[in-house]
Amino acid sequence: MKHTDAFGDCHPAVSFLFFMTVILITMFLNHPAVIFLSFGGGICYAAHVRGWRTVLKRHLLLSLPLMLVFALINPLFNHYGVTVLFYLNGMAITLEAVIYGLVLTAKLFTSIIWFDGMNAVMTTDKFVYLFGRVVPSLALVLSMAFRFVPRFTRQMGIIRNTQKCLGRDISTGKWYERLRAGVRVLSILITWALENAVDTSDSMKARGHGLPGRSAFSIFKFSKRDALMLIIFPVLLVLVLIGGLRGALYASFNPKIMIGGACPLPVAVGAFICWGLFCFVPILLGLKEDMTFRYLQTHRGRDGAAIWYMNK
Amino acid sequence: MQILAVEHFSFAYPDVAKASLKDVSFEVEAGSFNVLCGKSGCGKSTLLRHLKRELAPFGHREGTIRYRGTPIGELPDRDAAEKIGYVLQNPDNQIVTDKVWHELAFGLESLGYDTPTIRLRVAEMASYFGIQDWFLKNVSELSGGQKQLLNLAAVMAMHPELLILDEPTSQLDPIAASDFLETVRKLNRDVGTTIIITEHRLEDIIPWADQVLVMDKGTLIARGKPSDIGVFLQETRHDMFEAMPTPMRIYAGTDSKAPCPLTVREGRAWLRNTLEEMGLPADRPIHFNKKIADDENAAASASTDQSDHRIAAGSQAVLWPTDSERTDVSGRAADKEIPAIALKDVWFRYDRDLPDVVKGLNMTVNKGEFFALVGGNGTGKSTTLSLLSGLRRPYRGKILLNGRDIVKYTDEELYYGFLGVLPQNPQTLFTSCTVREDLYAMIDGMKEKKSRFYPIDMKKSEAIAGISELTMLDELMDRHPYDLSGGEQQRLALAKILLLRPQILLMDEPTKGLDNHYKNQLGRILKTLTTHGVTIFMISHDVEFCAAFADRTGLFFQGDLVASDASRRFFSGNSYYTTAANRLARTHFPDAVSAEDVIAAIHACQAEVTAPENGATEGSGKREVATVANAPDGDGVTAVAGKTVGHEDKV
Repeated sequence: MKHTDAFGDCHPAVSFLFFMTVILITMFLNHPAVIFLSFGGGICYAAHVRGWRTVLKRHLLLSLPLMLVFALINPLFNHYGVTVLFYLNGMAITLEAVIYGLVLTAKLFTSIIWFDGMNAVMTTDKFVYLFGRVVPSLALVLSMAFRFVPRFTRQMGIIRNTQKCLGRDISTGKWYERLRAGVRVLSILITWALENAVDTSDSMKARGHGLPGRSAFSIFKFSKRDALMLIIFPVLLVLVLIGGLRGALYASFNPKIMIGGACPLPVAVGAFICWGLFCFVPILLGLKEDMTFRYLQTHRGRDGAAIWYMNK
Repeated sequence: MQILAVEHFSFAYPDVAKASLKDVSFEVEAGSFNVLCGKSGCGKSTLLRHLKRELAPFGHREGTIRYRGTPIGELPDRDAAEKIGYVLQNPDNQIVTDKVWHELAFGLESLGYDTPTIRLRVAEMASYFGIQDWFLKNVSELSGGQKQLLNLAAVMAMHPELLILDEPTSQLDPIAASDFLETVRKLNRDVGTTIIITEHRLEDIIPWADQVLVMDKGTLIARGKPSDIGVFLQETRHDMFEAMPTPMRIYAGTDSKAPCPLTVREGRAWLRNTLEEMGLPADRPIHFNKKIADDENAAASASTDQSDHRIAAGSQAVLWPTDSERTDVSGRAADKEIPAIALKDVWFRYDRDLPDVVKGLNMTVNKGEFFALVGGNGTGKSTTLSLLSGLRRPYRGKILLNGRDIVKYTDEELYYGFLGVLPQNPQTLFTSCTVREDLYAMIDGMKEKKSRFYPIDMKKSEAIAGISELTMLDELMDRHPYDLSGGEQQRLALAKILLLRPQILLMDEPTKGLDNHYKNQLGRILKTLTTHGVTIFMISHDVEFCAAFADRTGLFFQGDLVASDASRRFFSGNSYYTTAANRLARTHFPDAVSAEDVIAAIHACQAEVTAPENGATEGSGKREVATVANAPDGDGVTAVAGKTVGHEDKV
């Protein structure tokens, strides 16, 4: 298993709370600065856990063009706003609708990037653990489900090969033969699954499943750093909220573009700084650890170092 | 102190007149190692399941089973779950969760332990079993051996006092299997856990046993120390000895009055003594088995003269096309010189960036030959099989089937009536609710209509009857395929493949999980097939099976065939990769590879010694030759073994 990064080492509850908060706020607020900061934090973090190359390929080359098309759809169907740019087939295309389309798209795009980072950090066992805290029996069901999927896929491959060697391949023949072959593979798989599930249930019973008072074990530890995170997050968010109550986060695109916090009030600047800090917590944490490692590497004893030509 | 006492226990499944267990009584001492053996279907598993309350089958029972004096039904739920551990046969099916650490904790979670306790116990288990390296892995990434070890550790995490194992290594390769059994033994020795185990690989565990229980047809026919069991089998000549370790089988086949040998080492000493008692030169090799020459002659005649063997089992013969019909399949005249399978400088790897799995493999299998490929795990045996079955293609080199390149065959030519592939897991073939329907499904149903899968004139019912007779399925026709035992499932899978009338049969470890009885049945079926001209290519871990049935055996190593030879010569030439019987008797009978060979050799020696007239001359003659061979004592003998050819006729 590959190590993700410093933020990935935090307690699952911390990671989960963070990702949920940042994605929800990004989804609900329309303020361009809020989205921009969130975008910055998100893409830096995704790049840190996935590598810049993957992020550029996945998001900027694949998602972004699609997103831009998406952005153009809004002004084609919505015609509110006071600033008419031009008329298309007698319909007014307004600046407000164009901008709002862009904002909506930016929100969606930013959320997708955050989800990408979240996917790298929140592995299945963390989800199982979190849900298990809420509903203990759910943890087991989820865990079993995660076991089934790769197992079934594998068995399916084996059955397909077996059937191919009997001349009953799914990928050749007339359509009805292929359909029959497909149904046959599925039927063999289901029979196999049901028959073998008897063993699984025996194995569970043999180890006391069904006794009252089942507990839920996890390998995750709640450290001091996690506690610190859970203090920092609310503090930052409350500061953002104060700015928000003063109108700094207000943005409206109908009928006129009105964006709060445009004039640099201290409270607005504070709110943006806090929000920025919040979004950049994961990447900052990751970079700090990277630097520590670089420092340790240059200051370590020579015993661990290989001869120069052994280094790759 | 007794941990378990079974008193006059009988059991019958509902609606079955015949009892599965009849008046079984035995005791198990705390901390002892107990081996329960018997043929498949003798009630071993049923008995074991009754010892674990949660798994006891439903039905009519009599008698009591006491755990530390308390009837097992009256134990508190928690104790019943915690104190008696149970490991089942299939490593994959027992694993419940997706992560190794979660699986280890599963039982403790059920018992409701808090996190610190579980953390300690799990850490202990992982360290003891050497799991820490793969502690965080997904269970789907583990090998079969690791999975079974995980199952054992997951049970042991609950600290059971009694551990029951039901054929735990039947799905593992030999090395993983002996690792697993060693761990079980270590648990018994270090921790004092009481063990009750059933196992096919009795060779490994019988010597460790404090008590051996032998079952037959639902009754306990013998129990006692392993050597006593050997004496019992010798006296009664019970057919259970088929399943016993080789030294005990050899012992049971003779009239020796010495204590029964349990291991190969003891067996060697015993054989030496036995021969010395007869007054034979115990430290000289005796090339006893003339069979080598006979075998080869037989093999040669089998491949040149197939028509003689057509008489066997009338309807079966018709299923296979005659040689003249075969020409249109291969596209050439059926030439005896053309091997059925020929690999020429074949290279394969799974991905451009991955290492080569098959490296410059050259190999030929002649028509009508039974070829076995042995070798360690991960050497590329299974990959080679997938190349031969057309599922994968080599990136270099050629595979010729009947002299024609495999890539030139269409799927239809390849899989209808030409190439049969028996998968490792027979269950991947079963589609229907009864054996009969399953067989008919293979040839497009019961309607008498020719189809792609059944292009011949023979009535379908006759074909099925012929095949089921050959594969001994007659009495099982109305059973559900999943209700059959492992050996029967294997035979059903074979029957299904045979209905497609293959000329070349490829098999991936057909003896996995089978006991000796079923192995012998399977071996005989395969032998019959080769007399019909079917070429068999098998990969196997089962040295004994290859020695007994394969015409030729090859050793696969690092993606290539290192050596191949007629099975008997192959195994009598190896020192490690050979049968237990050969390891035991090689100093005296270098050519003997099976227990039967050794027994026959001993009997012949005896006969020779007791025969008064030619005893003296022959005896001295033999000594002469043996001295010429100048065989030193012990290990060096084998080097000379092959050279004393001319001597064979004399004995």
